[in-house]
Amino acid sequence: MSAGGRGDRQQLLLAGVGGQGVLTTAKILGDAAHRQGLHVVVGEMHGMSQRGGSVTCTVILGGRRTSFLTGPPDTFVGFEPLETMRTLHLLGPETRGLVSTGSVSPVELTRTGAEYPSLEGLVEKIHAVAPLLRTLDGPQLAEREGSPWSLNVLLLGALAGLGELPFSAEVLYGAVEKRCSPRSLEDNERAYRAGLAWAKAQSASTGRGVEHG
Amino acid sequence: MAERVTQLPMASAPLDPLLVEGGRTDCVLGNEAIVRGALEAGVAFACGYPGTPSSEVTDSFARLSAAHGVIFEYSVNEKIALEMAFAASLAGARSIVAMKHLGLMSAGDPLSTIPYVGVEAGMVIVSAGDPSCHTSPNEQDQRHLGPMLHLPVLDPSTAQEALDMTRFAFELSEACRLPVILRPTARVCHSRATVTFGPLQPSKIGGFQRNPSRYTPIPFNARRMRLEIEDRLKTATALLAEWGALRCEGQGRSVVLASGAPAAVCADLIAEAEGATQVAVWTLRAVYPLVEEALVQRLREVDRVLVVEELSAYLEDAVSAICSRHGLTIEILGKRSGHLPLAFEYTPRHVQQALHDALGVGSAPSEERPPAQVTPRPPVLCPSCGHRAAYLAARAAFDDDQLYFNDIGCYTLGYGPPLNTVDALLCMGAGFTLAAGVSRVTGKRTVGFLGDSTFFHSGMPALFNAVKERVNMVAVILDNQVTAMTGFQTSPGTQHPASIEAVVRALGVEQVETVDPFELPTAVAAFRRARDAEGLSVVIAKRPCPVHDRRQHPEQAVTLYRVDQARCGHCGQEDEGRRCGQSPNEAFARSLARAASSQTREVSCQGPGVAPCTLRCPLSLCIQGYATNIAAGHYENALEHILSRTSLPESVCRVCDRPCEDVCVRKKSGGAVAINDLKRFVVSKTQGRSQRPFPEPLPKNGMRVAVVGAGPAGLSASHSLALRGYSVTLFDARDRPGGLLAWAIPSYRLPQAALERDIARILEAGVRFEGNTALGRDVTLDGLFEQGFDAVYLAVGAARSRRLELEGAEAPGAPKVTYALAYLEEIHTRAGAETRSQISRAAIQTRRAEAPPPSRVGSGQAVVIGGGNAAIDVARTLLRQGADGVSLACVEAREDMPALPEEIQGAEEEGIAIHTGVRPLRLEAGAIVCVPITGAGPELRLNATEVVLAIGQEPVLEGLACRGAPLARTDDGLLSVDPQTGRTSAARVYAGGDLVAGLRTVTGAMGWGLRGAWGIDLDLRGQVVADRLTPPSLQSDAAEAERWAEAFSVPAEQRQEHAELEGERRRRTYAEVAQVLSEAEAQAEAGRCLGCGLCGNCSVCIDVTGCPAIKLEEGRVTIDAVLCTGCGVCTTVCPNQAIVPVLTGSGVL
Repeated sequence: MSAGGRGDRQQLLLAGVGGQGVLTTAKILGDAAHRQGLHVVVGEMHGMSQRGGSVTCTVILGGRRTSFLTGPPDTFVGFEPLETMRTLHLLGPETRGLVSTGSVSPVELTRTGAEYPSLEGLVEKIHAVAPLLRTLDGPQLAEREGSPWSLNVLLLGALAGLGELPFSAEVLYGAVEKRCSPRSLEDNERAYRAGLAWAKAQSASTGRGVEHG
Repeated sequence: MAERVTQLPMASAPLDPLLVEGGRTDCVLGNEAIVRGALEAGVAFACGYPGTPSSEVTDSFARLSAAHGVIFEYSVNEKIALEMAFAASLAGARSIVAMKHLGLMSAGDPLSTIPYVGVEAGMVIVSAGDPSCHTSPNEQDQRHLGPMLHLPVLDPSTAQEALDMTRFAFELSEACRLPVILRPTARVCHSRATVTFGPLQPSKIGGFQRNPSRYTPIPFNARRMRLEIEDRLKTATALLAEWGALRCEGQGRSVVLASGAPAAVCADLIAEAEGATQVAVWTLRAVYPLVEEALVQRLREVDRVLVVEELSAYLEDAVSAICSRHGLTIEILGKRSGHLPLAFEYTPRHVQQALHDALGVGSAPSEERPPAQVTPRPPVLCPSCGHRAAYLAARAAFDDDQLYFNDIGCYTLGYGPPLNTVDALLCMGAGFTLAAGVSRVTGKRTVGFLGDSTFFHSGMPALFNAVKERVNMVAVILDNQVTAMTGFQTSPGTQHPASIEAVVRALGVEQVETVDPFELPTAVAAFRRARDAEGLSVVIAKRPCPVHDRRQHPEQAVTLYRVDQARCGHCGQEDEGRRCGQSPNEAFARSLARAASSQTREVSCQGPGVAPCTLRCPLSLCIQGYATNIAAGHYENALEHILSRTSLPESVCRVCDRPCEDVCVRKKSGGAVAINDLKRFVVSKTQGRSQRPFPEPLPKNGMRVAVVGAGPAGLSASHSLALRGYSVTLFDARDRPGGLLAWAIPSYRLPQAALERDIARILEAGVRFEGNTALGRDVTLDGLFEQGFDAVYLAVGAARSRRLELEGAEAPGAPKVTYALAYLEEIHTRAGAETRSQISRAAIQTRRAEAPPPSRVGSGQAVVIGGGNAAIDVARTLLRQGADGVSLACVEAREDMPALPEEIQGAEEEGIAIHTGVRPLRLEAGAIVCVPITGAGPELRLNATEVVLAIGQEPVLEGLACRGAPLARTDDGLLSVDPQTGRTSAARVYAGGDLVAGLRTVTGAMGWGLRGAWGIDLDLRGQVVADRLTPPSLQSDAAEAERWAEAFSVPAEQRQEHAELEGERRRRTYAEVAQVLSEAEAQAEAGRCLGCGLCGNCSVCIDVTGCPAIKLEEGRVTIDAVLCTGCGVCTTVCPNQAIVPVLTGSGVL
């Protein structure tokens, strides 16, 4: 299964805020790749990210030894608009993937009495660099499913649904299950399905076929 | 000493991913690969101290030790961990110990001697490096420990290598009897990669074989051991060479020599470089001892070596030395040649550039796009973190210039605004030692913070050092009962129920308090006590880590919070642009004071918008603002609250009729808050202390205003106009300013010195006083405009006494009749004449305060007619002038007398007889005869040599005209003005005070003055400018205020009453009767204020907490429902009770 014709070597970049589940998402992607029989390196340079700081992770599929990005990632998952802006210089015109538009206001912004920048303006800037990125209001979708803490799983569902990954939605969901606590399994399943459904609606509206899922 | 062999886990048990059989592959973290490698080597003992990026090594052992039978512990610190692992090795157990790079330095003592003694079973030390200081205060290069302490050092570049190397390291260690350092860097530790597992080995424990000379490095033995080390290193070198410490890939005369994480980067880049490269890649997997022979052999075949290593030029220098020793002339490139950076982690870009520049391999990296400018998002304390609450409490208790020293852990996040609780930081345990050292040399009382895990790690010796030196400091232990920063490892204090407080006491600390920081007022009080104590005080702020707690108890219900927008950020006055301008910390102090009074006293309803007292105050003073500042001990701020609306603080705090206290919600529960006494306390406490002028006048605007009449209304108007930038000339018929305050109110109520301080402040603001200038006699309204004044403010007051002609005044022996104002003025004038002849100012003040002016009446009986304050003033003055007896008669019933109740009471206490409900009928020889107002009842004959009539005054308005037209009057014969602005019927003529209708009180007159100044500014410069200093609101409906007083239900708590002078000194001198509250009384009294109004100058929740769950949306404060975890600390911080619970649900992350 190829994603966008790029073969099995694929670089993914995830960016978000500590607490949004970025690290868990990277782990799940690593597990899924492993289940699919792909060599994978996942970079989790998390530092103090658990305390609401910026956090990025890389997932490098196919034969590399290091977790560094070399060149723009093939796939990007932005968990938050400002964090997407922070990594925007790493992205490129060919980068596909998702940006969740639900914002998490940095404490520094609130403290100085400044407002979060306009979402339209941010999306415009993001698309100027990476026009193929799709946007979705992840937190709102997750909230609608009654699982506001499952944003990361929802984004994974959406990513799988869009066909951006070299493994099936089933393999990915298997990896999700492995990393979930039993009590959050139901929430996560709903969130994963909501992500898949969102992707299906996207491809229906844009006419772009969902390649698997 | 029987050999122990653990069983491999049963196949049926749920298998830990690291315990699967050999031959399987999995995607695991570098740190987990290390653990698997150790298990494949049959490790029997594991320990360490958590520290990023090493923590997952110990965490994995913690998780699987029970299932696999590895003996594990989180040791209390790294030194102990290293010693434990060494002891295990001596006892025949393969051991592994893990820590971060700098942790190993704190174990330097045992580390440097272990190679001498040598190990028995294999011992591996994982010392995880952190190039680029991702999570560390330094990026030291651990490889140097190899040559320095004779320790083999292995340097893995990938997760798979980490696994294989760890397994090998045990063999190496056992073969050469040296512990082996495994030095993965963060890139390896925290990369998750596909790894192939080898077979697991059961762990064996051989037991300790007694051999004292082998294990005891006394100097005699140590010298022998030193030489043995050289043999051990030779063994190690041989084994390393055999193992393949130098791995060579590719062919070429140019070589890349790399170790650690950069070796993997080089391999990837060269594998992906376009076209065939004539470059060999050599990876040095062991960086000490170097396999010199293998290296030399290879080096003879090449021309150029690019050394790619992070941190220091360790290998580059070593290879240069080898070449030099062996006479090889090879180009050695790397850091020293400038091809690679001296510091930080190498990214592929760095290496790509160096490969291209040094060896001509591949292409130079394309130009990097600069990152966008985005608001930084550093890590912050989590929502519900107890450390935040503890910091809030400390900041509220200590002054702003307090020095704070901090430590390594989550609490490091107190760095920077808004918490600002890190002035310096060094390493584990140094929070206390830094505080102690600075205190010892500066004498300042310092504060040191550290956490519970750090306390056991190295805080105990630091604290005991401070105990023994009797250091003047406050040591704070932030006890969240877990090692949170590194991943919620068990803290020694939770694993064993050792009470930190008991340990602290056992160390000899006497002043110890344990508080729950979520009980903010209690915690603040504890910090205040620690602040005020001497010597060493310890505060233990104990609150479980919320994240850990929630993981432990996911079922626990959480109350979340939201912001009630109707109460947030309003004080009811902000629509008029009024904001008190206090700093967030002051606002926070107010919130805390409010929290203290409401929490401990269970206020049963939410407060009104504007506090009733402020509603009723003619000056709209923010009374809760200064009361809560007094309660917090912030007297300067309290004074600023008062000065912001009060031109005459010294006078008003003595003579105000206090309508505020009438509506205080405390009135029914122990009495109204003694608002005026609080004001007087602040004014007295801060006298001469304020360093800066407040409020500061705005720059001169070039316009001139004449104020006629220098009583409270005129003074107030003049001051406010001067602050607004007007040039003000203040005229008065008398020779000095003050009006009634100066020549009618007796100095036992208002000492002249106090009034003079008020007047001095007003004149200092730029008001020019011209005395002896009477309206109508010396100046006219038209004349003032001709002089070039842009506006005139009239405040000449009610100068004419109401007359009463009494029958019998001409009778022989009839008492002499005078009028109150004339009498009081004469007394004042005499006193003034008397004292003006004195030389020293101090003497004047003493004289004025103490000595009665020369007697006018002398002995004899005096009777005062009237029931107002002037009547009481006259009566009490007569007493002080030496009258044998004074009585007072008035038409009103006792409860209807206009005089202040305490004035009436004061008069009675001084022996003045008060006859109510009677009116004077006639004068007789030596007496005045009164009759009951009802007409029924006998005549009342009062002996009198003097009678003073105090039956009211009225303004003199005859002839008051401007530009040919008389000023319009009301039906009552007063000046007709706009109540908001004081504007009269004549253009640019304003008036206030007793000239116009309204409150006939000093404070009321001052309110008129402030409104008049605003009105003039509005007229001359427009609303935008005028509103920079807004006037007090007009009195609102008292009923609303009273409704609130009804609605509040608070337990009674007795009001603090000020002391009063007693005895002869009181009755016969002019010494001030009412005394100032003591500091303790004032604080207690201020603490009674419920702060029941809202506070509009407020973003306290944002400004002081820095909680990530609180944010601004479209200008409004909101709480993020996902981020909030329901600690409720912000509800205490909010002065408006605007943060309210929303729902009960589980906030599971």
